[in-house]
Amino acid sequence: MMRHSIVIAKNTFKETVRDRIILGSVIIAVIMMLISFFIGTISLDQDIRIIINLSLTAIYLLQIFIAIFIASSLIHKEIERKTFFLILPKPVERQAVILGKALGLLCTVTVVTLITSIALALLLLGKGAISYLPYALVALFFSSLEVILLILVAFLFSLLSSPILSALFTGAIFLIGHSGSIIQTIIERTTSVPTKLILEATYYILPSLEKFNVRNEVIYKVFPDMKTLVFAISYVFIYGVILFYVNRFLFQKKDF
Amino acid sequence: MNEISLKNVSKTYDKGKTYSVKNLTLSVKKGQIFGFLGANGAGKTTTMKMLVSLTEPSEGEISIGGKSVKEKETRSRISFMPESPSFYLELTGGEFLIFALSLFRKIEKEDTEKVQVVLDQVGLLHAQKKRIKTYSKGMLQRLGLAQALLNDPDVLFLDEPLDGLDPLGRAEIKKIILALKAKKKTIFFNSHILGDVEEICDVVGIIHKGELVTVGDPKEIKKGHKDLEAAFVSIVTKRK
Repeated sequence: MMRHSIVIAKNTFKETVRDRIILGSVIIAVIMMLISFFIGTISLDQDIRIIINLSLTAIYLLQIFIAIFIASSLIHKEIERKTFFLILPKPVERQAVILGKALGLLCTVTVVTLITSIALALLLLGKGAISYLPYALVALFFSSLEVILLILVAFLFSLLSSPILSALFTGAIFLIGHSGSIIQTIIERTTSVPTKLILEATYYILPSLEKFNVRNEVIYKVFPDMKTLVFAISYVFIYGVILFYVNRFLFQKKDF
Repeated sequence: MNEISLKNVSKTYDKGKTYSVKNLTLSVKKGQIFGFLGANGAGKTTTMKMLVSLTEPSEGEISIGGKSVKEKETRSRISFMPESPSFYLELTGGEFLIFALSLFRKIEKEDTEKVQVVLDQVGLLHAQKKRIKTYSKGMLQRLGLAQALLNDPDVLFLDEPLDGLDPLGRAEIKKIILALKAKKKTIFFNSHILGDVEEICDVVGIIHKGELVTVGDPKEIKKGHKDLEAAFVSIVTKRK
């Protein structure tokens, strides 16, 4: 299965990386980073903070854009355009297709993250603040972990609905996933038992994505501790495996 | 020996209320070209999708070479060219064929040559480095056939392979199909172009509203009619 997954991943990477939407998004992210550089120059002693915060946000939004919008349409587009008709009759396991598509898209995210990280490194070098780079790269590694989950969530919805609905649902999961503390506060304050139960189920079942946000630590040159790192990787692994198996089940049941 | 066999195969939708294919039983012998004819929505493509494991039959059994099509070993012996095939548009024709071949086996150095031979066979060698998005409909059809020839299959399923081709292109593809027959390949072939079917098929089956109406030698089927098309119209009209 792994050989087929790698073949499909390579193909997905080639196909997505040549997509003009990706190129356009990278350009927009780099422009945002350049703007942060100029805003930084007119601020009072906050230039490095502004460059780091805005640049990391630009790269993060780029990653999320790919995870939500490209992943939402990737599977559906192949079903709609019937490109799967050329793959599935061949001796390929359907699960290899799902894994390959996810790995290919993850490679695309990794490459655009690396390209924009080079732009960030150049900006930091220009400001004589290159020492922040390792901390920024760790923060981007954490956001890449979040991207893995979002890609699999988007695949799940795209197997059940249209690309637009899939993007909307994945976007909703993204927002809820970053609202854990708000949900907890509501749970504490609400008196309605059904509401409490629904919110608790939402809190525990849906992915908690705020665990992957360590971008605020970069400016203080603080690496996340080992416990946080191990927890984040384990969380992605366990949640990712569950999502993969649900996707696999749906895809295997699918009639074309 | 039967290479393709369908026994009481049905495909239903709407929780069993609507039949797309009903109780279909037929077999195709090794080395035969079988032409599957039917009006739009008759169940031709659904049958073919079941034969290549894109869709599960609701009832019945399908085997190729005596084995289930779900088995990877069976699927490495077959190939499928869908109707109006759709590709990864950002890839070049050559890249796509290498990708398709790598789904069968690990790519070796000589496979690049193999891809070129197949591209030459379908008349696309000149376009191998062009992105698929720049291909015309006829070129896409040829690329669809090329990917079906790559693994040197024993059984080919071709859904409207002559669709979208000019007379010259059709003649070339028919020549390829007949060359495959000479190599004892089994071909299951859906088409609307009955003149071509009559020309190249050994056996013809007519499906109407999901049910197999007749199977036989095209010469036998067209007996008493001007041509196969007239015979087809007559058979289908009688069923209405």
